[in-house]
Amino acid sequence: MSSIDAKKRLSILSNAPAASPSSSAGDTAKPTYWRSLAELEQSPEFLEFAAREFAAPLEQEPPNSPGRRRFMQIMGASMSLAGLDACRWREDKILPLSRRPEGTIPGTSRYFATAMELNGNAVGLYASSYDGRPTKIEGNPSHPDSLGAASAYHQASVLGLYDPDRSDSVVTHAGGARKTSSWAEFGKVAGAALTAQRAAGGAGVRVLAERSSSPTLAEQKRRFLAAFPAAKWVTFEPIANDGPRAGSALAFGRAHRTHYAFEAAQVIVTLDADVVHPTFPAGLANARVITKGRAPEAGEMSRVYAIESAVTLTGGISDHRLALRSSAIKALAAYLDSAISAKASPLPEFGAAQAAPAAEFLKDAKVAKFVEALVGDLLANVGRSVIVPGQHQPAEVHALVHRLNALLGNVGRTVFYTEDTAAEATSDVVALKALTDELNAGTVDTLLILGGNPAFTAPADIPFADAIGKAKNSIHLSLYEDETSERVGWHLPAAHYLESWGDAQAFDGTLSIVQPLIAPLHGGKSSIELLAMLLGNAEPNALELVRATHPDLSGEHPWRKALAAGIVEGTAAARVTPKLNPVPAVTLGEHELAGLGGQNGKLELLFTADPKIIDGRFANNAWLQELPESLTKLTWDNAVFISPRTAKELGVNDADSITVSVGSRQVTLLALIAPGHADGSLRITLGYGRKSAGHIGGLVSENIDPVGGNAYLVRSSEGYEIATGVSVQSHGTVNYRVSSTQDIYTVGDIGQQGTQERLPELVREGTLEEFKKKPDFVEEIVEHNPLLSLWVPPVSYDGHKWGMSIDLNKCIGCSACVTACQAENNIPVVGKENVAKGREMLWLRVDRYYKGEPEDAEVSFQPIPCQQCENAPCEQVCPVGATMHSHEGLNDMVYNRCIGTRYCSNNCPYKVRRFNYFNYNLDTIGITPYTPTDDPKAKVKAMVFNPEVTVRSRGVMEKCTFCVQRIQNVKIKAKNVKRPIEDGEIKTACQQTCPTGAIVFGDLNDGKAEVTGLHKLSRSYALLGELNNRPRVQYLARIKNPNPALTPAQAPKTEQG
Amino acid sequence: MAISDVNPFEAPPKGANMFAQITDNVSRIAETDKPPRAWYIAFGFAQILLIIFFSSLGYVVWNGIGAWGNMMPVAWGFPIVNFVFWIGIGHAGTLISAVLFLFRQNWRTAINRFAEAMTIFAVVCAGIFPGMHIGRPWLPYYMFPIPNQMDMWPQFRSPLEWDVFAVSTYATVSILFWYMGMIPDFATFRDRATTTARRVAYGIVAMGWRGSSRQWHVYERAYLILAALATPLVLSVHSVVSFDFATAQLPGWHATIFPPYFVAGAIFGGFAMVVTLAVPARQFFGLKRIITIRHLELMNKVIMATGLIVGYAYGMEFFIAWYSGGKYEQFTFINRAFGPYAWAYWTMISCNVILPQLHWIPKFRQNPWCTLAIGLVVNVGMWFERFVIICTSLSRDFLPSSWGYFVPTPVDLATLGGSFGLFFTLFLLFCRYLPMVAMAEVKAFSPAAHSHADHH
Repeated sequence: MSSIDAKKRLSILSNAPAASPSSSAGDTAKPTYWRSLAELEQSPEFLEFAAREFAAPLEQEPPNSPGRRRFMQIMGASMSLAGLDACRWREDKILPLSRRPEGTIPGTSRYFATAMELNGNAVGLYASSYDGRPTKIEGNPSHPDSLGAASAYHQASVLGLYDPDRSDSVVTHAGGARKTSSWAEFGKVAGAALTAQRAAGGAGVRVLAERSSSPTLAEQKRRFLAAFPAAKWVTFEPIANDGPRAGSALAFGRAHRTHYAFEAAQVIVTLDADVVHPTFPAGLANARVITKGRAPEAGEMSRVYAIESAVTLTGGISDHRLALRSSAIKALAAYLDSAISAKASPLPEFGAAQAAPAAEFLKDAKVAKFVEALVGDLLANVGRSVIVPGQHQPAEVHALVHRLNALLGNVGRTVFYTEDTAAEATSDVVALKALTDELNAGTVDTLLILGGNPAFTAPADIPFADAIGKAKNSIHLSLYEDETSERVGWHLPAAHYLESWGDAQAFDGTLSIVQPLIAPLHGGKSSIELLAMLLGNAEPNALELVRATHPDLSGEHPWRKALAAGIVEGTAAARVTPKLNPVPAVTLGEHELAGLGGQNGKLELLFTADPKIIDGRFANNAWLQELPESLTKLTWDNAVFISPRTAKELGVNDADSITVSVGSRQVTLLALIAPGHADGSLRITLGYGRKSAGHIGGLVSENIDPVGGNAYLVRSSEGYEIATGVSVQSHGTVNYRVSSTQDIYTVGDIGQQGTQERLPELVREGTLEEFKKKPDFVEEIVEHNPLLSLWVPPVSYDGHKWGMSIDLNKCIGCSACVTACQAENNIPVVGKENVAKGREMLWLRVDRYYKGEPEDAEVSFQPIPCQQCENAPCEQVCPVGATMHSHEGLNDMVYNRCIGTRYCSNNCPYKVRRFNYFNYNLDTIGITPYTPTDDPKAKVKAMVFNPEVTVRSRGVMEKCTFCVQRIQNVKIKAKNVKRPIEDGEIKTACQQTCPTGAIVFGDLNDGKAEVTGLHKLSRSYALLGELNNRPRVQYLARIKNPNPALTPAQAPKTEQG
Repeated sequence: MAISDVNPFEAPPKGANMFAQITDNVSRIAETDKPPRAWYIAFGFAQILLIIFFSSLGYVVWNGIGAWGNMMPVAWGFPIVNFVFWIGIGHAGTLISAVLFLFRQNWRTAINRFAEAMTIFAVVCAGIFPGMHIGRPWLPYYMFPIPNQMDMWPQFRSPLEWDVFAVSTYATVSILFWYMGMIPDFATFRDRATTTARRVAYGIVAMGWRGSSRQWHVYERAYLILAALATPLVLSVHSVVSFDFATAQLPGWHATIFPPYFVAGAIFGGFAMVVTLAVPARQFFGLKRIITIRHLELMNKVIMATGLIVGYAYGMEFFIAWYSGGKYEQFTFINRAFGPYAWAYWTMISCNVILPQLHWIPKFRQNPWCTLAIGLVVNVGMWFERFVIICTSLSRDFLPSSWGYFVPTPVDLATLGGSFGLFFTLFLLFCRYLPMVAMAEVKAFSPAAHSHADHH
């Protein structure tokens, strides 16, 4: 892994002879080099000719009727004149290389470490660079919150970088109409406004910023507030996470961050917390650690209990899941406290326990049994358990859980704390409300909005969007001209994280330097640069600002080390053991105590970050829009999730249009029945329904409908995370196509029955007990005749024999692999309509199956890439030999040869083949690398393509290649130095990004390779192996570790399915 | 009309010149300046459909085959359904002209010519679809074994490759057979020609036929040989087409019963198309005395027999699915009959198995309009049979995650409807300009040719 810092490149550039400013024609000095004798002599004729060179044609031709040829000449001349401006090389910009610097090889990819920050937490990444353009993101293995993994939205951030809808100019709405302007113009206006404010200490200045962990930004903030002491800095994030901050303050007196050591936990309990989801703090790392502790071969497995309303990824991997309304969690936590305090050894210093709440739902037999078993398991594993509360749960739940973890002796063993020094005193909503009031009172002169889109994301009862205009000067820095930009006086284009220098911290405080991979494509600036500019630095240099913030890294060596590693060692915050205050008795309302379920008018509505577009910021990212959501497999949409029983009671059918009323606010949305969802609960993800996102996410001004429905319309500061007293009215099925890639509960009785019958064979599962008793139980699930073949296999696989193992015990269904595959393999986006028609192009899909009754459905995930069969059914039926078997066992697609009969897809039992029914690259993004274009935006779009992978045209079949380009790269590298390929040296894109390491690729001829060992495990099986296709992908059966107290005595589960 | 009183298969009335009347009766259809109004109406209608056909194909070529409803997992939709449907139609023509000839079923002479024409035109319609349905319709020649600089060679293990040879052989033999049979009749047209253009045109295609004994001798030998060559094709072509499905791994396709089942289905559907064409043709072109009720009845009996074979095959598929114990196979058939495509399945069963049973009633099968109605019904049923086999099997295969539901687009319907435009255009042109009934052969088997037979 090598990294090159910009300075080095720049020094290379500055060593190059600077392009001399074109010598003016009037220069009478004799030139050293000359074109003609006339020039050498500097004759008057020549001087006149030289002076006329560009100007003359313009004067000769009447401007109103230039002929075509003349027009082209003039335009060409103007272009070259315009181009002269770019001939001045400046030292503080990264430019494409015009000559090959030492040590770089054109056309190969190099990785640079950087970091992407979201909601105040950074994940360390590697970005690949092909000749100066980033094309692919990977996780940074040394970063504590990545451990080598990256999520779907990290993967998709390269597409965001090249999004042609990104803002490319400073825009002003001063004077009413939209006008493009310039940074210089903005600098003048803003300078004047701030100078005027300086006298009053900036009393009229307000800054509204996104949450950030950047020390450099914090330093800029400090300087800004020093310059304007009366100014106020407000932080607002729509995904607020006030609960953890306020809860820890309640429990410890000061805000703390909680870190979990899941590797030391035998019992993991999540209370409405999706701990393995990338949006959870350190979620990627949590996923790695939790699944690592669930390998049945080790003999011992942790046990995961998930109590939650919506089915989360954590609920998916859990051994026991209890579907419970989010608003009932508080009473449950109080009950756990009462029950555990009663049985645990008394710890008077922690204060009095909660009284057992008289909650109706606790009287339900199933809940009571679950909770009893859970308490028993927790008490049996004192010091080896962990309870994790959800981010959107109220402060009291967090405080109670801190107490519970302390009672159970987990603190210092599985639970650790660090001080949250960055935590604000008030919640984001309160701060935004105060700011809005000030705006409406007219006391704000200058409003500076650093990132975010508060006009769209503000709570429905805070009229922030309308209040923006009340400030005399309003400034918004953002990547897009969005809903907020439309309302401000000045919109400024922001730099993407791959375009700007910065720094950011992991959840545990570990510092990373954010390193740009490319110069800003559209002249954007980062928040750091903007603040520096407003503080009087006309040409701020973010690199210098970042370096100035970190004097420890001032030397060239530590700086380079930090850049290369992507983290600065030893910068994690110190772990502390705060003193636990007694938790006062929690107040429990009617809704929190009610029984299971809920009638109309008493429902709860849970608002959560969207797993793909978060709070709406990635709404214009087509890869994320087209990524099937983990549970519903919904693309290009969001929906209200509703439990099957509640839906029935409310008269709501799957894919109905429903109106959700929260207080006086209403919004009409799509409803989807989500098996396993808690009764009486609704869940909606935020961020959809944007009207000014762009050509992908919705642009009403150009008649592009918003994608999905806007949940912010019913999210008010009352019931900000969980709204209660919600009612629903169904309008029945409307003429609306739900573009989901998999519908399991709409297949009718026959399909349902057929699915349930074959499911135990497809996704093989067992319990730890069964596995211990009979490690090869997996083999017996399918009975079939001996697999015979008429032919001797035509290929002997003497060299390499590529294979893959996918561990269903580790797969959490997060779908990061799907987007990684899309980014790596230039997979086109097909759009909502074509997804609805079943024409999505994703080479890798993650199948989701529900098991059991819809009300209590258990979830299983199964990633399906091409199985690369040795006896491949696709190869035999292609009439033109467009899919061929390689000597290493890959089913190679020969795109040039494919005429598109699609017979291969029909004969593929896994249906992994994808067909270009249209020229999707041209139709949906308007470009292929082979389409000549002069449209600069189209050229920017084409930069995202991976140059090592063919971009497929219309009418050809395509499918997973096992990332053959990666295989070839390593093979070439190894062959050049005549060494064998090491195991693990080749990683497929899906494998590399997988947070849990569920996917392992390697050479099956290598006896010591990890994949060979995994294939030999007793729980390894071939999907549909009875067809004798001999797939090279094998799955490791899923093993659960149920609590015997909760397992009904029954015949082996696998036979019942 | 005097001629319509003459039945060439019955003893002629005293004093009638049977041969001349047959010649006159058939030739004047092609010679008249004013074909019946029905012809114009039908031709106009066919032209509209033909325009729809070519414009929808143009639309597909321009935009991509996503204009059709094909998707994943149903990657073959209407185009392949239409292909199998049309290729099946053709079989009756070959059966009538070749197999029945070898079996000396003399009644065939009344219908063999236009049954053969129907074969050719059906193969033309069929041949368009595989070429157009591929993703890159400008490259179908990759399937032909043409030595080329790209070092490409077809992959001969693929049943689609077998199709290329089966269908092209079939088309070649059918055209040869058809054309050769027409030579004596072309000569008749030439001899009766009243204009130079007709004389030259028919003279060229008559290839110098003079009707000498030697020519007749050679002709009949050649005809016999071609009939013998064409006979295996009746079995082979649709068997090979059925291999497209039978050799695949897909439940619902992977079945050994497919070749005989497809051949029976093809003959079934083909005869239904023959009666569908014969009934209006005899009505509008005054051929009632050449294509008699007896002919229709015989064809209806063939329809009934083959229909029963097809019905047996439907039942046997279910039995084998149950008997094999294959989970996926069983599901496919239950799903076929009761799943989301049950409507298509029961349409097929009603049209192919239930309704043709009406032909047990002699009065019914002797009525031309009832014959036509059942012919149309069977045509619909046989189209649906292919739809059911292709679409229901593909829509729900092994992994439930990849199940889907195929919905045709308007372009699908336009190409299907439009293909009938091509078929009828060709057929109506044939009726107008070519000898619609094999005059020479009809004469050979008319009682007039054997007027002294009872004396021996």
